[in-house]
Amino acid sequence: MSDREVAQRVFAKEFNDSTLSIESGSSDSNKNIGRSPNFLVTPLGMKVNRLFAVGVITEVDNIGTDNDIWRARMVDPSGAFTIYAGQYQQEAAVFLSGIDPPVFISVVGKARMYEPGDGSKFISIRPEAINRATDHMRDRWVIDTAELTTERMDIISDLILLDTDWTGYFDENGISSDIAEGIRIALEKYNTGQDYLREMIIMLLECLKSVESTEAESTKDTNEKIILRILNEMDQGRGVIYEKLIDAAKQHGLSEEEIDEATSSVLSKGKCYEPRIGILKPV
Amino acid sequence: MNEKIAPHIEELTRALGISRNQAQEELEILLNYRVPLDEAKRTVIRKFRYSSGSTLKKIGELSPGLSGIDIKGRIINVKEKNVNVKGKRSVIYSGVIADRTGACPFTSWDDHPLSKGDAVYLKNTITRIWNNRLEINIAKFSSINLLSDNLIPPVEDLLEVLEKKIRDIDISDLFVTSTVVILKMYHRNIKEGDREMTIIEGVIGDETGKLPFISRMMDIDIGDVIRFENASVEVFKGLPSINLDENAEIEILHSKLDGILTFESVSRVPEPTRIADILNKNGVFDAVAIGNIISVRPGSGIINRCPECNRVILKNTCRSHGVVDGIKDMRIKIIIDDGTGPLLVMLDRDISETVYGRSMHVVGEMVKRTMSHDQVVEDIQNALIGKYLAVRGNASRTDFGMILVADSAWFPEDDLSGRIDVIYEKLSLLEAKLNV
Repeated sequence: MSDREVAQRVFAKEFNDSTLSIESGSSDSNKNIGRSPNFLVTPLGMKVNRLFAVGVITEVDNIGTDNDIWRARMVDPSGAFTIYAGQYQQEAAVFLSGIDPPVFISVVGKARMYEPGDGSKFISIRPEAINRATDHMRDRWVIDTAELTTERMDIISDLILLDTDWTGYFDENGISSDIAEGIRIALEKYNTGQDYLREMIIMLLECLKSVESTEAESTKDTNEKIILRILNEMDQGRGVIYEKLIDAAKQHGLSEEEIDEATSSVLSKGKCYEPRIGILKPV
Repeated sequence: MNEKIAPHIEELTRALGISRNQAQEELEILLNYRVPLDEAKRTVIRKFRYSSGSTLKKIGELSPGLSGIDIKGRIINVKEKNVNVKGKRSVIYSGVIADRTGACPFTSWDDHPLSKGDAVYLKNTITRIWNNRLEINIAKFSSINLLSDNLIPPVEDLLEVLEKKIRDIDISDLFVTSTVVILKMYHRNIKEGDREMTIIEGVIGDETGKLPFISRMMDIDIGDVIRFENASVEVFKGLPSINLDENAEIEILHSKLDGILTFESVSRVPEPTRIADILNKNGVFDAVAIGNIISVRPGSGIINRCPECNRVILKNTCRSHGVVDGIKDMRIKIIIDDGTGPLLVMLDRDISETVYGRSMHVVGEMVKRTMSHDQVVEDIQNALIGKYLAVRGNASRTDFGMILVADSAWFPEDDLSGRIDVIYEKLSLLEAKLNV
C-alpha cells in the first residue's frame, strides 16, 4: 500500500497565502509507486496535500451551469477556506446542498491551486469527507493548529536568526526530511522573514482569543450552575418550591429576571423538571 | 533443432557450471512445451543461478534479496523447529550468526544441523526479509562447512549487546540488556517435539514502555524487578518480544534497590504518543494515540469470520478452509490523524458498538433492510467523521501499513485552557526572539 498523506492542520490565512506547489515527495515510498502526489507549500513551509479543518460554513452557492458544483465558504478565526464539491465529490455536494448556514463542520480534503493564467492563483479544498461538527471541536482544532503552526515558526525563526547550517540543524533536532523540505522552500522561495513571522504571531493571538471567549464561562453558565446547586442542596426528595428557590438565589446576588432566565434554561436542558406546577426537582 | 540450440547449451554449461547433458535436458523440456528459446534460457539460468559462482560477504554488508552469498561467522544461538513444509514434516534450524561486522538471523531449511558456538563457512545462501527483519536463508543448494575454531573470534568479541530502555528496543535488535518490572504473566503448556513443558508468557515494562516476553524460568512473579542480559529479541506479530531463555542472564533484583521502577509507576496508562512517532517505528506495544477520525474504510460493519481460523471471509468461503458456515461479527476500520500522520485503527465488535453507538443486532437489521453494506459505512461516516478519538493498543507494521488494533477506545476530554496558556508562552518567547 502506498503511504497515505498526513491530514495537515493549517489556518485559512496561511493556506490562502500560498503561491507555490511542488510535485515531488521526498519520502522514498513516493518514488517507489511512481505517482508522486502534489503538494501546496505554504509560506511557513507546510507541504499540504491533504488537510483537516473545522470551521463555520457561512455561505453555500450552486455555481455550476450544466452540472451541480457547490462552492462553500468555511470560516476559521484567521480567514476563510473555499470548498468546491462537483460531480466527483457527490457525498460532499449532497451534504453542502442540504445545510442551512451558519453550521459548524469538519472537512477532510485535498489542497487545490487553480491558476486562470493571468498570474492570479486560487487556493481551495476539494473535500473527501465532510460532516457536522460542534463549537467544542472547532475550539480544539484551533488549539491543535496553533500548536503545530507555532512549532514550524519556531524552526523557521531559528534558521533565520541563528545563521546555522540548515542540514545540521535538521539532523540535530530530529526534523524529518519531509518537514525539512517544506521549510527549505519557505526560506528559499518565499523568503519568509521576520515580518511574516510577526504577522503570523498576531494572527495566532487572534485565533487563541476567539477560542478563549467561548472557553471562558459566560455569566449565563454561572447563573445556571448556581440554580442547579441550590436545587440539589434544598431538595429533600419532593422537589423545591419555586418561591423558595428565588429567595435562595437572591442571596447569591442574582436578580429575579436572571433567576427566571436561568431556571427556564436548565428546565429546557432537562437538568431539572417540574413534577407539579411551581415545584422544581433536579434530575 | 539440435544444431540450432547447441551454442546455447554450450553457453549455459559454461555460465552455470552444470553438465552438458543436464543443460540440454532442462532446455529441451521447455522447448518441447513451445516455450520461446529466450524464455527457456532465462528459466534454466534462474533455476541454476544459485549453484553458480557466489561471493564472500561480511554480515554488515548484507541487504535483502541477495543470492549466492558466502558468509564466515560464528553461530551465536540456534533452535531446532519442527515445521510443515508443503504437508511434509521437517526440521529446520534457526538462530543468529555473527561476524566482526554484525549479527543476522538465519534459517537453515534442509536439515543442515548446526550447533551453538560453531565457526562456520556458509556457501551460496540467499537473503530475504522475514518478519520485517533481514534474514540469511541456508537453502537446499547451500552448503555448510565447519571452520577451525581459531579463525573466528569468540562470541564475547562478536556481540556488543546494548543496554536499552523498553521504548528503544526495536525488532532490528537481536539481543538486548535491560531492567524491567513484570506486569502480567500466565503459564502455558506447550509441546516441543514429544516433550510437554510449561512456559511463561507475559508483559514486562519500564517507565518508557511495555513489551511481551516469554520465559522458561519458573521462579518469577508479577511485580518482580528483573535485570536481564543478552536476552534475544524475537518478532511476535510484528513487535519485539523478549525471550528470557537459558541463553540470557537473568537476575531478580530486590524491588527496593531500584526505587524508580515499581509496579505502580510502570503499569499506568501510557501517555499519548504522536502518530508520527508511532509511524517511525516498526511497531509499538501498548500505545495510546489521539486524533481526528478522517476516514471510515470499506469493510467496516458486519463481517463473516471462518469458524476455524477466525479470518474474515467473503461468500462463506475461507482461503484455507473452503466453504464454511461463517460466524457473524462486527468491526470498524478507521484512519485517525493528529496532524503529524495517519494511523489505521481496527476496532473490534465491543469497541465498535460503543464508539458507533449502535449494537451489532441493529446494524445487522440495517443491512437486511437496505440490502447494502455501503449504507452502513455511510452511516458510520456520518456518526464518526471529524470526531476526536483516543485509542489504546498494539501498533505493528503489516502489508497494509501500520495498524493499531485497539484494546480500548474513548472520546477524550482535553485541557484546552491549559494548552492555550502554553501556546501564549511559546508565542511570547518567539516574539522576544524576533525583537532581539
